[in-house]
Amino acid sequence: MGLESLMGGEGFLTTTVNAIVNWGRKNALWPMPFGTACCAIEMMATFSGRYDISRFGAEVVRFSPRQADLLIVSGRICIKMMPVLQKIYRQMPEPKWVISMGACASCGGVFDTYTMIQGVDQFMPVDVYVPGCPPRPESLLDALFEIQKVVGEERIDSGKHGS
Amino acid sequence: MSEQYPAHAALPPSLQDLILDTTEHRGQTQLSCKAPNHRSLLENFRHEQGYDFLVDVTAIDYLGKDTLERFEVVYVLRRLGARRDQFRLHVWLGESDPTLSSVVDLWNSARWGERETHDMFGIVFEGNPDLRRLLMPEDFPAFPLLKDYPLTGRGERRQFPRVVPRGDQMVEEEPTDYPTSIGRGMHTPEYIEEVERDSKPRK
Ligand code: SF4
Repeated sequence: MGLESLMGGEGFLTTTVNAIVNWGRKNALWPMPFGTACCAIEMMATFSGRYDISRFGAEVVRFSPRQADLLIVSGRICIKMMPVLQKIYRQMPEPKWVISMGACASCGGVFDTYTMIQGVDQFMPVDVYVPGCPPRPESLLDALFEIQKVVGEERIDSGKHGS
Repeated sequence: MSEQYPAHAALPPSLQDLILDTTEHRGQTQLSCKAPNHRSLLENFRHEQGYDFLVDVTAIDYLGKDTLERFEVVYVLRRLGARRDQFRLHVWLGESDPTLSSVVDLWNSARWGERETHDMFGIVFEGNPDLRRLLMPEDFPAFPLLKDYPLTGRGERRQFPRVVPRGDQMVEEEPTDYPTSIGRGMHTPEYIEEVERDSKPRK
């Protein structure tokens, strides 16, 4: 069964520090929800029982950015909200990743108006985009898997993310 | 029918003369008058006729239309006593000096309506104690519901520092030349021209 069968009865497992740290990080992401519009409803559905993001290790939803490492931007971001979002992003401890969920967060969606940010990636880093208006919970789960791939490829000695 | 325009009919003749016209559409009454006259009319409605509830204050921009003045400031009044009714007073206001006297001393709810109307149309309500920005950011330079304000703004939505990873920290970069729209027709010459025109500072 699983990991134990690889240990050959001796209780030892050889791996690299990089692999074990990334394995830990990617299977215990703590999301910070930043829901500002209708996409947040689908995000809440993803967090709750029916779709249950906790099956993939990301159920510890933190409403304080200082305890989270995955920011989920779900919804329209207007020019009054963008400085708030940037501040929240900067308050998150390293290492951190960002999902831009839905058409509005990724490119402004249909709201090409004077108040709407046309994609949060113009003003802060984004790792994974989720298309859709709104994306289905399955899409957000898929984005989580993509984030897990991104996390798995990090090098902890790269100097990036303050590590 | 005297009941049809009750608010209008009960005015003393000197105030009746200030009313420019009266219309009735689907049971909704609308009176109109010119700018400084609204004050004496509203005082009468408040104190003599018992309109104790100012539902809303808003405005309409008739830019390019053949109207008396550019702006119409709309007061929606309602009374909640034994005689219940509601009507609108439309006040014509010129664009050269878009200033009106506030009615905060008559109805406290005018604070919010006047503040929002100021935020969106730039109309100044003299006497309102709190005429700050309401919906737009405090340093927003324009009045977005004016008809000559472009839908995509004049570049305000690009004026943010950018948070970027630099080595092991996040730094803020000053805004440079970002695309304004990833969606519809961003690369068409017409759109680029529109954006350039909109982003020029205007008085
Ligand atoms: S992408 Fe669609 S569902 Fe999501 S916030 Fe925008 S309008 Fe709402």
